[in-house]
Amino acid sequence: MRTATLVLAAYVLCVIVGACWRLLPAQLLRDAVPELGALTAAYLGLTARRSLAAAVGGSVIIGYLADIISGTPAGLGALVLGITCLVTRSAQQRILVRGAAMTIGFSAFVALVDGVVGLLVRGAAGVKLASIGVELSHLSLVVAATALIGPLVWRLFRRIDAAFARTHRERDAALEGLMP
Amino acid sequence: MTLRRRLVDWSLTGLLILVPALVLRASLQRGTPSAFDAAVLRLTAPLEAGVTWLAEGVGGLWSRYVALIDVEAENRELREDNERLRKELAEMTRRAYDVAALEELAVLKKHTPTDTIGARVIAAPLSPQFRVLRLRLDRGSRDVQPDMAVIAGTGPVGKIEKVYGDYADVMLVSDARSKIEVVVKRTGARGWLIGLGKPDSYACTISALELAPQSELRARAGDELVTSGVGSVFPPGLVVGKIESVLGDDGMFQKVEVRPAVDVSRVRAVVVLLASPPPPDPDAKTRKKSEPAFGARAL
Repeated sequence: MRTATLVLAAYVLCVIVGACWRLLPAQLLRDAVPELGALTAAYLGLTARRSLAAAVGGSVIIGYLADIISGTPAGLGALVLGITCLVTRSAQQRILVRGAAMTIGFSAFVALVDGVVGLLVRGAAGVKLASIGVELSHLSLVVAATALIGPLVWRLFRRIDAAFARTHRERDAALEGLMP
Repeated sequence: MTLRRRLVDWSLTGLLILVPALVLRASLQRGTPSAFDAAVLRLTAPLEAGVTWLAEGVGGLWSRYVALIDVEAENRELREDNERLRKELAEMTRRAYDVAALEELAVLKKHTPTDTIGARVIAAPLSPQFRVLRLRLDRGSRDVQPDMAVIAGTGPVGKIEKVYGDYADVMLVSDARSKIEVVVKRTGARGWLIGLGKPDSYACTISALELAPQSELRARAGDELVTSGVGSVFPPGLVVGKIESVLGDDGMFQKVEVRPAVDVSRVRAVVVLLASPPPPDPDAKTRKKSEPAFGARAL
């Protein structure tokens, strides 16, 4: 239920960002679309309690929905976010994402991983890539935008987590970012 | 977590990674969205449409009513541009007007048999009823003299009345002092075109227009008048105007009102005839062939 709620919230956020971002004034800003799917996958991976499959499943679903919204080949975003979730899961025991600076840094890292995995998957699947310069400049813009928007998204996700907490302790821990 | 549960979890995870890979492969091979994709899109489309409508509404509100910071400066720039372009247009229109006047003058000079000089109308004093009383030309005593004929594209305008300095005034054919000998083109009747000097029209009349005994030889409204070339500074054949109405007769002469052919309110350039035109050759059409000096001459 928690994973489904997080996925639903992320999907609504993706729709809102998709609708609003193109109204921004400068082309540079319009190109810097935050990778909300990657943030969701990272959060699901980082906060996976016992079952990794649920986190990966949620990531795959949000990736698939993002594919449907953005018009990319179905499965591309799902596969990339599934792998991103696994990568962040592996970092679960090593880092504690807490505080604005850490959240920004981790969001940037997640966006970078997502971008690189996306490039690799697209290359492997035979999807046409732009020139290296264009891909890198786009990746840098996306990383910067994701890093800036990351703390807000994570705060929302933590609120949702807190709503699903069974005890006060769990609730406080969720709000503090100490989950699981 | 038991080993079995862990194995199941990892297997499920592997499967969840495998499924999108297969979906991606299938969608790349197919090239178009599957029925499932279309169904999901149909389900999610209302939410996307609603959010987009809301975002565009708010964005439009912002751009139309709030983000108007640069509009004032832009408006000022556009107003300045508009003013500059209007000035340019006025200048171009004036030049086009001048060019048209000069073209008119060139054509007129070409068709005039005597020596002429072109002149531009620089002023036209008006009557209280907004009728032109006389024309002022940009030619002075070095170029023109009083009583020289002034013509425009379609006919006589008047005569030089006064010359002072670099300017000359033209007495119009509609002036009460103007007198030009004219011929009714249809009947050949002669008379003197005299201006009525009305402040509200350019009407003229013909004095001494004989009342012919045959009705078909009498002047009618619409008859065209041309200069006779006799006793006048104007060359023959210039269209002077048309009889607008026949006012009656006194048993001997017809009384008519004439509308001049030249609308002096629109004249921008004229031609001044520097010399009197050569008199018409009386034998031009009736000249006989000279007889042979020898041979077949009848005795």
